[in-house]
Amino acid sequence: MNRRRFIRVAGAGTLAGAGAVGLTAAGCGRVRKLLQIDNAPSARVAARGATTKVFSICDNCVNKCGIIAHVARGRIVKLEPNPAFPKSRGMLCAKGNAGVKTLYDPDRLKHPLIRTGERGSGAWRKATWKEALDFTAERLLAIRERYGPQGVLFSSCESFQERFFRSLAQAWGSPNLVRHPSVCLSSSNLAWFITYGTVPEFDLAHADYVIASGANRFESFITPDSVDLSDGLRQRKAKLVYLDPRFTVTASKADEWLPIRPGTDLAFYLALIHVLIEEQLYDRAFVEAYTHGFEELAAHVTRFSPEWAAAETEIPADRIRAIAREFAARAPKAVIYRGRRTSWYQNDTEMRQAMAIANVLVGNWDTPGGVVPNEKLDLGAPEPPEYPWPDAERVDAIAERHPLASAEDGAYIELRDAVLADRPYPVRGWMMFKHNPMHTLPDRRLTEQMFRKMEFVAVIDIQPTDSGWLADVILPESTYLERTDPIEEFSVPYAFAALRQQVVKPQFSTRPCLDIMKGLAARTGLGRYFDFDIDQYIAAQLAPHGIDRSAFEATGVWSNRTARQYGVTRNPEFRFRTPSGKIELANERLRRNGYPPLPEYAPPAQPPGGQFRLLPGKQALFTHAANQNNEWLHELCAENRLWINRAVAESKGIADGDQVRVRSRIGEVKVRAFVTGRIRPDCVHLPHGFGHTTSALRRAFGRGASDQDLIEPRWDRISGNAALHETFVTVERV
Amino acid sequence: MRLGMVVDTQRCLHCGACLVACKAENEVPTGRSRNWVAEREAGTFPGIGVRIEPGQCMHCENAPCVRVCPTGASYVDADGVVLLNPDDCIGCRYCIESCPYDARYFDEDSGTVDKCTFCVHRVAHRQQPACVLTCPAKVRVFGDLDDAQAPVSRLAAERGGAVLKPEAATRPKIFYLS
Repeated sequence: MNRRRFIRVAGAGTLAGAGAVGLTAAGCGRVRKLLQIDNAPSARVAARGATTKVFSICDNCVNKCGIIAHVARGRIVKLEPNPAFPKSRGMLCAKGNAGVKTLYDPDRLKHPLIRTGERGSGAWRKATWKEALDFTAERLLAIRERYGPQGVLFSSCESFQERFFRSLAQAWGSPNLVRHPSVCLSSSNLAWFITYGTVPEFDLAHADYVIASGANRFESFITPDSVDLSDGLRQRKAKLVYLDPRFTVTASKADEWLPIRPGTDLAFYLALIHVLIEEQLYDRAFVEAYTHGFEELAAHVTRFSPEWAAAETEIPADRIRAIAREFAARAPKAVIYRGRRTSWYQNDTEMRQAMAIANVLVGNWDTPGGVVPNEKLDLGAPEPPEYPWPDAERVDAIAERHPLASAEDGAYIELRDAVLADRPYPVRGWMMFKHNPMHTLPDRRLTEQMFRKMEFVAVIDIQPTDSGWLADVILPESTYLERTDPIEEFSVPYAFAALRQQVVKPQFSTRPCLDIMKGLAARTGLGRYFDFDIDQYIAAQLAPHGIDRSAFEATGVWSNRTARQYGVTRNPEFRFRTPSGKIELANERLRRNGYPPLPEYAPPAQPPGGQFRLLPGKQALFTHAANQNNEWLHELCAENRLWINRAVAESKGIADGDQVRVRSRIGEVKVRAFVTGRIRPDCVHLPHGFGHTTSALRRAFGRGASDQDLIEPRWDRISGNAALHETFVTVERV
Repeated sequence: MRLGMVVDTQRCLHCGACLVACKAENEVPTGRSRNWVAEREAGTFPGIGVRIEPGQCMHCENAPCVRVCPTGASYVDADGVVLLNPDDCIGCRYCIESCPYDARYFDEDSGTVDKCTFCVHRVAHRQQPACVLTCPAKVRVFGDLDDAQAPVSRLAAERGGAVLKPEAATRPKIFYLS
């Protein structure tokens, strides 16, 4: 379908009118009755008086946009984009703007809490930091006494201070560290890494032709990549080809939307590669000079014709041929875009590998508008004493089960299985930093069992969470606006460094992660690993460049360059970090580890009659389950709804807004329906992050439903990344 | 000076940044909003389309809200911005009834009506309105419609400038690019 043509037609009649006016995003529950929690009229705009500006960095998602905080009388009145920040430039999304309400949320954690009632009962007592840290250290040491250091699991999500949490974990000597990538993008990281020897970036600011599979940058996640893609479409007439079973906002802006049959993207990319080779559209000189395994690839893809793929994908063969030709014709300023969360199917690594291979063939590597290597500034850091080598193996046995996956990140679902089964040894303590496995791991019942198996759980976070509610102690972290973090390096659009500096003093009795770690380290005999404060840490980071913090005064950022240097690796002598030293088409790391060196295709299972494939996904207003309680974001979207195809809904007697019961093999939820033409009839879509069970989040509590009550725990065979799109559900009107 | 805006609906992602930035900038009470994003779906799968259309007070040249105001609280300032002086507002809400765009709301706390001001307090300091500044996709372009060289005027001239509800004859100063 040609989107632009459609939009011209649709735009002929204007939309105006109060009837069309709404605050509510598609598929979002309308605001019913807003809780009047923090509605005391603060000083009005005019009465604010003069504000001071502080440069800092947003923390409402992984992108970390540059912000300018406006402060009046010790209170932040507004957050605005920092135009000098090279990555985000003049943008700040809804979440970024709403950060003020995270800081001043009356529901946030205000002081340490120690559990007094049954686990999960919500009975807590307020504790001093000394009490809470003494208690935590005592319990951890008791577990070490009984089960060894490996008896404590450390789990975390990304943060500029996550390094301190991981440092404590390594000093402690447990092999059981797990991070978020195995419920997010570990399959993608793995596939791109084994192909190029690096996890690359995508130069959307100069690309003229972009193919994206479910990389929903205009709806799920508004980032600098979204801006570059949007500007490209409008200013350079770049072309976007978008594959998704849903007509997302991204689809609505694309030149071509292909409502692909779910789970068949690999067939599409294999056919694309087939055409590139069969019609000799690939960059022969590049392939000869820089790649390994072309002949093997060519032989492998002969059977994956567009006609074959059409039957799998429901995308006509002539469209696949046309896209392959145009992709090659627009190269090297043409990319197949990686996107972010890739925890989709059990063959996810192979699918991502095929995307990477198609990019390699058109020679878009390390050129403007192509796939580009990461740039680094090489900051320093204080040298820690050597960490102990753990005596025990990881319980997720990642080295045997997923030998190519990152042992630093772990495999979360299999780790949970191992803990539940005491395999190969008991894990009874759990230290958790800035993440919420009750919302991020499929099958909440199993996650809750894992909590209940623990003798001790400590959670470090800024607000009450469903996971924190199952802990023994909660250690409240200061928010990103109340603390100074280590300098952070960015690699888009070129290497630069930026400083998140404290904007206001902590509002309550909270501490930065580093201070919490220092407190625990001192009590567990590990103080020597934290022989610095944040200022000394920053000074050590900047030392190799001979600068100090004053370099960040003028704009909040620093770099020794002003633009990306293209082509550094486009030198036939350059050795890529792969076994062959080349970019690998036939993959030697895969072969050495017993996997096929090239992606094999197996058709995905299809939903039995009367069932639907459940597609989870994100909305740009929220990052996972982190900000549904934010007053301003809650106002825009109070609850999620289940997207269901209109014709299907009519046949089932479901009207828009009706309550429906959604049932999978592992559980069921009740949620309201969003009846729409924007989704294939064989799928339903439930936005992620709702269904909070903690009453302490007074706005978000009980609103909407959690996809993790439905999703079956499965994983990608090679990476161990969660396969969140493999669940079938029934839907009935309640 | 005649302040106005063009809106490029094709760029709008309905991300909500403008809605939150306005709330923060203008301390708009909970449950109220000075701007909005409308979304309309047309067609059936797979021949489907979506129009996304942000809006706010149109700062009409022929503003019904100003005409019906019994106290003169609603007025048009020297730069063509439709404003409201809360000291003179008696909360009768005739203006809310008269607005074809539903762009005004009653603020229970103050007992007066409120609405988009084009962030004149910012414009006075040569800053863009909050919704314009924060927008990731740069949907809105704001400026002086009397200045033919201003981006706002050039865009309106080059890409047409449809107004919402032309039948209301309000002569809005927000133009939707085609």
